[in-house]
Amino acid sequence: MGRYILRRLFSVIPTLIGVTLVIFLFQRLIPGDPAVAMLGEHATTENVARIREQFGLDKPAFLDRDALAEGDLSGFFDSQYVRYFGRLLQFDLGDSIHRRIPIAETLQERFPATVELALLAMAISLTIGIPIGILSAARRNSILDGTTMVGSLIGVSVPIFWLGIMEIMLFAVILKWLPSGGRLSSGVVIEPITNLLLLDSLLTGNWAGFTDALKHIIMPAVALATIPTAIITRMTRSSMLDVLQEDYIRTASAKGLAEGIVLFRHALKNAFLPVITIIGIQVGSLLAGAVLTETIFSWPGIGKWVYDSILGRDYPIVQGVTLLIAIIFLLVNLLVDLSYALIDPRISYE
Amino acid sequence: MKPLMEIKNLTTRFHTQDGTVNAVNGISYTLDHGEILGVVGESGCGKSVHALSIMRLIQIPPGEISAGEVIFDGRDLLKLSEKEIRSVRGREIAMVFQDPMSSLNPVYTVGFQISEALILHKNMNKRQAKERTIELLDLVGIPEAGSRFNCYPHQFSGGMRQRAMIAMALSCEPKLLIADEPTTALDVTIQAQIINLVIGLQQELGMSVMWITHDLGIVAEMVHRINVMYAGSIIERGLVDDIYNNTLHPYTMGLLGSLPSIDEAPGKKLISIPGLPPDLIDLPPGCPFFARCTYREERCAKELQELENGPEEGHSVACWRWREIQKMGVS
Amino acid sequence: MTEKTPVLDDLTDFAVREHRSLWLDAWRRLISNRTAMIGLIVVAIFVLSAVSAHFFWKYDAKMDLDYGAKLVAPVLRVSEESPEIHIFGTDKLGRDIFRRVVHGGWNSLRVGLVAVTISLTIGGILGLLAGFFESTDLNRLEQSLLMAGIGLSLGALPAWIARQPIQSLLFALLGVASVSTPAFLENKSRLRRLVFGIIGLLIGALSGIFVGPMVALVCGVLGLGIGLLLAKPVGGKVFSNIVMRIMDIILSFPSYLLAIAIVAFLGPGLEKGMIAIGVVGIPIYARLARSAVLSVTQKEYVLAAQSVGEGHGRILFKHIVPNILSPIIVQATMGLANAILSAAALGFLGLGAIPPEPEWGAMLGDSYKYLSSGAWWAVLFPGLAIMFSVLGFNLLGDGLRDALDPKMRV
Repeated sequence: MGRYILRRLFSVIPTLIGVTLVIFLFQRLIPGDPAVAMLGEHATTENVARIREQFGLDKPAFLDRDALAEGDLSGFFDSQYVRYFGRLLQFDLGDSIHRRIPIAETLQERFPATVELALLAMAISLTIGIPIGILSAARRNSILDGTTMVGSLIGVSVPIFWLGIMEIMLFAVILKWLPSGGRLSSGVVIEPITNLLLLDSLLTGNWAGFTDALKHIIMPAVALATIPTAIITRMTRSSMLDVLQEDYIRTASAKGLAEGIVLFRHALKNAFLPVITIIGIQVGSLLAGAVLTETIFSWPGIGKWVYDSILGRDYPIVQGVTLLIAIIFLLVNLLVDLSYALIDPRISYE
Repeated sequence: MKPLMEIKNLTTRFHTQDGTVNAVNGISYTLDHGEILGVVGESGCGKSVHALSIMRLIQIPPGEISAGEVIFDGRDLLKLSEKEIRSVRGREIAMVFQDPMSSLNPVYTVGFQISEALILHKNMNKRQAKERTIELLDLVGIPEAGSRFNCYPHQFSGGMRQRAMIAMALSCEPKLLIADEPTTALDVTIQAQIINLVIGLQQELGMSVMWITHDLGIVAEMVHRINVMYAGSIIERGLVDDIYNNTLHPYTMGLLGSLPSIDEAPGKKLISIPGLPPDLIDLPPGCPFFARCTYREERCAKELQELENGPEEGHSVACWRWREIQKMGVS
Repeated sequence: MTEKTPVLDDLTDFAVREHRSLWLDAWRRLISNRTAMIGLIVVAIFVLSAVSAHFFWKYDAKMDLDYGAKLVAPVLRVSEESPEIHIFGTDKLGRDIFRRVVHGGWNSLRVGLVAVTISLTIGGILGLLAGFFESTDLNRLEQSLLMAGIGLSLGALPAWIARQPIQSLLFALLGVASVSTPAFLENKSRLRRLVFGIIGLLIGALSGIFVGPMVALVCGVLGLGIGLLLAKPVGGKVFSNIVMRIMDIILSFPSYLLAIAIVAFLGPGLEKGMIAIGVVGIPIYARLARSAVLSVTQKEYVLAAQSVGEGHGRILFKHIVPNILSPIIVQATMGLANAILSAAALGFLGLGAIPPEPEWGAMLGDSYKYLSSGAWWAVLFPGLAIMFSVLGFNLLGDGLRDALDPKMRV
C-alpha cells in the first residue's frame, strides 16, 4: 500500500512540472512588459533596465543557448524558468509586484477564508446531496424523484453570482436578517487559531463570535454549494440506479434482507466510486467558483485576490495562487484514486 | 401427505412502453416435500419469472403478479405483508442464481455475505455465524474453508463461487431450494460437480428442489418430475420417465428430438423446431405453440387446451390432439 | 414424425416484430419525456427570439442612451411620467432592459455555439484518436508517422540549442527508420538500441560541432538519449498517454480560473471569451470520446471488421464514430448550457463583451451596485434570462441522455 502511494505520488510529478510550465508560459505570453507595468508608462529606460535585471527579466526564458555557444555550460541553465523553479523548491513564491509583500504571507492570511467557505459548502452539498440521491434512486419515478431531478437541473442552471445577488437582495436588503458582506461585523473579535473562524470561535467558547461568523458565511456558502449539491445528487442517484440493477442486489433481497440494509449496505458501497470522483472534481470547482462568490460578498479570500491580480498584471500572485490551487487539485484527485482501492477490493494495490 | 407448495393460476405481467408482456399465464402445479422438480423450457418461456414470482422478487412497477395463489406450507405467499415475505425469503425458500460472479457483491467477503443470512434469520452473533459459515463452505466442498471465509468473490473460481452461493442458500436450512439455471454459466465438468453436489445435499437434508434449466439433458438424471413450459404456460407435466419415454406434447417431442444422443448413429440430422417463439405482448389466442406445430389444426389457433390427464398417473398435457398423435405411433 | 406440414392460408408469423431503427426509437422516447419537451420548447423560444431579434429588431448599442430615464422601474403602460413602455425597466444608463436582454440572447447563443464547437471538434478528434490507437495495432504508415513525429519534437530541443533545424528533421528520419529496420536487427533489441543510440549521438555531436565544443557535447548527449528512445517503435498507447497527459494538465486548472487567465491573455471581447471557454472544454470531450471509443472497440463488431481487413479509416467512420455520437451529443447540449453560464460569469467580471454590447452577465455586473437603492429589476431579469436558457438546454440534454441510453431499451 505504501509503495502504491509512493508510485502514484511520483506519477503526479510530471503533471506538476507541466503545470508550472504552463503557468510560467502564461505569464510570459501576456502582452506588455511587466517591468513597464510595474513602474508605469513614463518610467525612464534606466529604471526599466534596472527592474528587469533585478527580477531576472533580462534572462532568456528556458535555456540560454548563446551562453552554451560560448562554452558556458552552467550559464546554459541559468534562465527565468530555472530560477523560478529553484525558488519554488524553496517554497519562495516571490513578492507581489505592486505591494512588495511576500506572496506566501498574504496567502497564509487569505487562504483560510476560502478554505472555510469551500469546506462549509462541501459539507452542505454532501449532507443534502447523498441522502437525497439515494432516496430518489430507491423511489424511482416517485414525486420525490421527479422533484429531485428537476431541482438538481435548476441547481446547475442557476448562475452563482446571480444567486448570491438574489440572496443579498432578499436577506440583506429586504428582510435585513443577514449582513451583506465580509466575514465578521466590525467590532467582533475571534481569537485566531486556525483562522477558520467558525472552528476558532467554537474552540474558544466564543458563542457571540460564532453566531456572527455564521451569519456572514451562510449566504456565500449556500450560493457556492448549489452546483456541487445538484451534481452530487444526480451522480449519487444515477450511480445507485445502475447498482440497483445488478444481480447481487437481487441476491441480497432473496436472502430476506430489509430494503434499508440492501440500499445502504449492499448498494451504496458499490455506487460510491463514481460519486467520489465527482466530489474530487467539485473540490476544484469550489476553489475556483469562490472567485465569483467572494467578489459579491466581499469575502477576503484568495479567489478575489487572484482575479484582481490578473487584471492588475501582478503575475507573481497569479502564478503563486494558481500553482497552489493546481497542487491542491492534484492532491485531492490522488486521494480520490487511493480511496478507490480502499472501497473496491478488486482494485489491487500493486 | 399435503404438498409443500401448491400454485394455482399464477399470472405475472410486465407493463412496458411497447405493451404488456404476458410472462406467466395462469400456471398451476404442486410440489411435494423432498421432491426434485425440473422446470424446462427455452429462453423467455417464463420459468425464471415464475420462480421470482413465488419469492415475490418481481420489481413491482413495471411488473405485476396479477392473479393466482402460491400456497406454501399452508400460507398464500402472495398475500403476505412485506415483513412476512422477508422472513420466508432465505429461511424457508432460498434461491441460487445463474451467474455467480454477478450474483455476489464484489465489495464484501464471501464469508460475510453468507453470515448475513445466518445473523438475520437464525439470530446468531458474528462468531457463531462465522463458525457455521465455515462448516457450510466445507459442506459444499470448498477446500480450506477457514481461510476462504475472508476472500472476496473475485478471488474464487466460477465453480467455487457457485458452491458458495449454494452454501449461502442452504445456510438457514430452507424447505425449498430454487436453482435458476445454476450451471449454465459454468464449464461442463464443473456442471457435473455442482449437480452432484446438489443431489447429495438434497438427499442429506431432505429439502425440495426446483431446478430450472433449458437443458433437457441435465434433468434426465436428477429430477423426479418435470414441468415443460412454453410462452408462459405449462404444456406438459409428469414423472421423468413418462416424459422421456411417452412424450405427449409436440413441443416436448421437438425438444427431445433436438438432443444429440450417443445411442444414435453419427451423421443423423438433429431435428430443430422451425420458427420463433411468439411475441409475449401479442400472444395469440389458443395454443402458443400453434405457429410452429407440425400437428396443428384450426381448433388449436382458437382455443387453448387446459392441462388434461394423460395415460399415466401424474402425467398431463395441454394439447387437443394428443391422443391422435399417440396413435400415429411417434415417440 | 411426419414431414408434411398442413398449409393454412393466413398464417402470420407471430414472432416477427416490426424493425425499429435506433434513432426513431430515441426520438419517440424523447417526445414522450415531458421535461425534455419543456426544455426543447424553452430552447426553441430562446433561439428564435435571439435570432429574430438580431436580424429583425435592429439595435445599436452605442447609440442607446437616455439619461433622462435612468433606473426606471418596469412600466407596462404609457403614462405621464414615463412616455415609453419598459417591460423590464431601465438600467443605469436609461437603456431598456427588455431590449438588451433579448439582444443579449443572441450574444449568448453565439458564444455557446462557437465554444462548444471548438471543444467538441478538437477534443473529440483527440479523444477519438487516442482511444482508437490505444486499443488497435498501428499499421506501418501510422507507426512511421508517430515515430517521425516523436523524433521531430524531441529533436527540436537539440535543434534549437544549436540553431540547426536540420537536426530535427534528421531525428524524424531516424524515427521512421526505426519502423522499417533491416531484418537483421529484428530481434536483437540490445543491438538495436546501441545502433540507434550511436546514430543519435553522431547526429547531435557532428551537427553541434559547427557551433562549438560545448554545444556538440550537449547535443550529442541529447542525441544519444533520443536515439535510445527511438530504437523501438512504440505502440499507440504512447500516443494516447501523451494526449491524455496534456488533457490532465489542462484539467488540473479549475475551469473558471483557466478561462479568466486565457481571456486576460487574449484581451477583452466576446470572441476571445468564446475561444477561452472553448479551450477550457477540450479535455472534457477528449476524455469522453476516448472512453466511449474504448468501450466500443471492445465490442465484437469492431474486432470482426478488423479481422476482415478493413482499414483504420473505414473502421473509424463506419463503426466507431456512429456509436460514440450519443454521449457526445448529450455532453454538447449540456456543454452549451455551461458555455452560456461561463460567458455570463466572464461578463459579470468584466471580461466578456466590451461595453456597451448587451450581454447578460455584463448587465448583471453593471447593475448590482444599485441593488441597495432598490433597483431590483436591473438585476432580476438578466439573471432570469441566463437561468431559463441554461435550464432549457440542461433539460433537453437530460432528456436526450435518457432517450439515447441503450440500457433503457426493453
